[in-house]
Amino acid sequence: MTIEASSRDIPIGSMLPLTGPSAIDGAEFRKGIILACEEINLGGGILGRKLRPIFMDTGRQTAEEVVTSAARLIQDHSVHAIINGYNIGSQNSEYEVIADASILYIHHNTLLQHHDTVLSNPDRYFGCFMANPAEFWYGQGFVKFLSWLRETGQWSPANNRIAIISGSKPYSIVIANAMANAAERFGWTVSFGPKILATPRNDWREVIAEAQATDPAVIANTHFYATDLASFQTQFMQHPSNSLIYLQYGAMHKAFVELAQGSAVGVVVSAVTGLLRDEPGNSFASRYILRFGTASTPQIGCQCYNAVRHYAIAASVAGGTGEPGNGSQNRKIARALIDIPFRSVAGMVRYHPQLQAAIPYPDQEQDPSLGMPHLFYQVRDKAAGLALIAPAPYNADRFVLPAWFR
Amino acid sequence: MSPPLSKVVGNRGDPILDGLDGTTAGISVWSSTRILIYANRAFINTFDIRSAKIGVLHHDDFIRHLIVSNELSLLSAEEWSAAQIQEFGTEQHDIQSTSDGRTLDILRMPSGNGGMTVTVHDISALKSTELALRSAKEAAEESGDSKSRFLRAANHDLRQPLATLRILIFSCLSETDEAHRKDLFHAMDVSVSIMEDLLSALLQIGQLDAGIIVPRVTTFQLTSIFERLNLQYAHQAAEKGLKLRFAPTRAAVMTDKSLLERILSNLLANALRYTDVGGVVIGCRKDGATLRIEIWDSGRGIPAGQMERIFEEFYQIPDGRWAKRPGLGLGLNIVHRLAKLIGHPITVRSQPGNGSVFSITVPLGDIWHSEAAEPEINEAMAGEFVGKTVLLIEDDAELRGAMQGLLERWGMRVSAIGSEAEIRRHLTETPATPDLIIADFRLRNEVGTDLVERIRIMFAKQIPAVIVTADATPEVVAQIKAAALPILIKPVSPPRLRVMMHNLLFEPAELMMPPRKADA
Repeated sequence: MTIEASSRDIPIGSMLPLTGPSAIDGAEFRKGIILACEEINLGGGILGRKLRPIFMDTGRQTAEEVVTSAARLIQDHSVHAIINGYNIGSQNSEYEVIADASILYIHHNTLLQHHDTVLSNPDRYFGCFMANPAEFWYGQGFVKFLSWLRETGQWSPANNRIAIISGSKPYSIVIANAMANAAERFGWTVSFGPKILATPRNDWREVIAEAQATDPAVIANTHFYATDLASFQTQFMQHPSNSLIYLQYGAMHKAFVELAQGSAVGVVVSAVTGLLRDEPGNSFASRYILRFGTASTPQIGCQCYNAVRHYAIAASVAGGTGEPGNGSQNRKIARALIDIPFRSVAGMVRYHPQLQAAIPYPDQEQDPSLGMPHLFYQVRDKAAGLALIAPAPYNADRFVLPAWFR
Repeated sequence: MSPPLSKVVGNRGDPILDGLDGTTAGISVWSSTRILIYANRAFINTFDIRSAKIGVLHHDDFIRHLIVSNELSLLSAEEWSAAQIQEFGTEQHDIQSTSDGRTLDILRMPSGNGGMTVTVHDISALKSTELALRSAKEAAEESGDSKSRFLRAANHDLRQPLATLRILIFSCLSETDEAHRKDLFHAMDVSVSIMEDLLSALLQIGQLDAGIIVPRVTTFQLTSIFERLNLQYAHQAAEKGLKLRFAPTRAAVMTDKSLLERILSNLLANALRYTDVGGVVIGCRKDGATLRIEIWDSGRGIPAGQMERIFEEFYQIPDGRWAKRPGLGLGLNIVHRLAKLIGHPITVRSQPGNGSVFSITVPLGDIWHSEAAEPEINEAMAGEFVGKTVLLIEDDAELRGAMQGLLERWGMRVSAIGSEAEIRRHLTETPATPDLIIADFRLRNEVGTDLVERIRIMFAKQIPAVIVTADATPEVVAQIKAAALPILIKPVSPPRLRVMMHNLLFEPAELMMPPRKADA
């Protein structure tokens, strides 16, 4: 299957970090978009019109890079929608050019500031959707996860201390703040941090030693670059302490296990949007690997895949897509995105009607059929991959005390 | 041979008799020899006599069948059956309950030839409505009685501090001694707080009476209530020289948060009121799937004979020693009623002279469902700028207000200043170094770049700063750049401001890096 250009095609833009520190994720986002477009086109496209993806590299994901990408997609390619993974550094700057063009924008920036921007002018930002929950929920969800391990007797921490280390991106800082904010209510004490370090970074030895000096039961690192996290874990394992290690999103990536090797086993990682291990999820993973090879990571690629499919359904129900400037048609699609929750391969995408962000389960919504699951994994070995250990009803494995505990 | 009744129904060959099978009232006709000569469908079904036969079933056997089959709910089956058999053929009217909960109206009328006709009506629906009406009437009467009782007592309790207040005001008007006046003011303050307590309790009781309190059950961390109660009562306890301690808990409980807080607040207020030495401890104990929250005090305790009455409205233990700052006798009644509303048992144990322990047992909740935050999250809770201090210098009041609102929404602590004079005052009064300076370029008497420089010298620190300006002429831009300060052009776009502040605070290296060109 290939995507051939035709004048009737619907151009769909995508702003991806295809180079730079998040290039590993960017490549998977691209694959997710391609697979979704191919499958939709094979079935007839949106009301008979095929989707044609156009990619822009956002590199280090600075505001300038992301805004330039959005402007070019709109001005040079007249895209009807922009759908992508995350661009962390732009701080929503791209919303302005997108709002000016009145097109749809579905992203996975996972940023709390999306709420503030949309609420500041709902009419202007009608088309801006965040297809996963805000990063805030990572922080609070992790504290609940720890408490659940403790309350259910799966783990008996030696004390109630948590050390929190953060990277310098807003995403990491907010997660660290949210973690610290929730800790005390659940009977934990922040013994170190949140310590914000400039990232990217591959030398973590000093901060690991500082954190270990406070004898924490848990060390959480909310930075999210897979390669940096592999360095962190490898360096922690040079002098391990009896601390549970939580690493942010990037540790889900195959590259993390490839780099950290045996040191990775036992690490806990989570995703507020992750591939489910049920029939639809497994079927998607098989198709993805068949299409892009065994080195690919469907767990990452599923996000953009879902977003394109949800957009296609909403646009079909709305009677078609809208080019830049066609606000009336694009408002219909935005309405349909909210009105029609979508059970994706990563669980339920149900947009909060005012915030236009996916509602998380169990962090905010208690009904698993009405929220996107915040999944917790534990790294096993290279062959076994990630064990999905929480929450019910999606968990398939149990937490295992990491081998580095003495 | 006569067929069983089940075969006869609707197939009697007589249109009138077949027609009677269609009525909802049960009808049966018995001969003078007490033999069944007719029964319609409703009668047969009501008493389950499908296998009996016309011309064969004897009335007395029918009565015995009812006893054996337990069709009717009878207090004394033997007595009832003897009366039925003895009074055959006489006029009688009975209301009977059946064992499956229906109510039957049974009328027996003698027929001319010494026999008897029985009609049966199912009046269950009517009865249920009547019962509901009666119960509503009783509840209304009871509520009326209790309201009158309540209002009489409330009236008395409210008049007392009012009368005291009036006397105190008069005394105060003629009092010339300053020290004595202060005492009188203090006494007035006590009277006012008594009335305040009473009015607040009346409001709660009023809401309970009106039935407008509807519990909303959620799961939450109990410690969040403890934090609020500690804030509310720590000062009061300290004033009395009492120790107030909340034992740490990490339990998630499942109940109505605000009602539980009101219950605990009332129990705690009571404990503090009736404790003179020692203190009050609030702790929890897990008990299976529930959590018992206990309030221990070292107060006077409750005499054994009073235990039953302490939850009544306006009830106060008759003891002269309690008169110093008496309660209203409403707190425990509110506790009792609120606990009943949310279905949580309250227990009390006490030893006069050694204190009391009040406890409420609530269900434990699933920690995953616990509301750790407000339902709607925002950046003021955990945004990247939370807690950062910013010195905002802008002489346009409107712009200053808008910018301050935006920064506070993002969780920052803002010192918003409009003039150089205010800055001098602020810097003398607040010696803490700000994390960031946002300064307008064109101020009344100097330019923002110079001001930033002066502030940096004052704090002996290169505080991150940004200059905002509506004047984007090359000269101004050059002047700001010469001071090595970043610029934002008015009107300032919130995303641009975010990026700038983020870089200044967390990634200053990004400010130095030239932007990459986006590639297709």
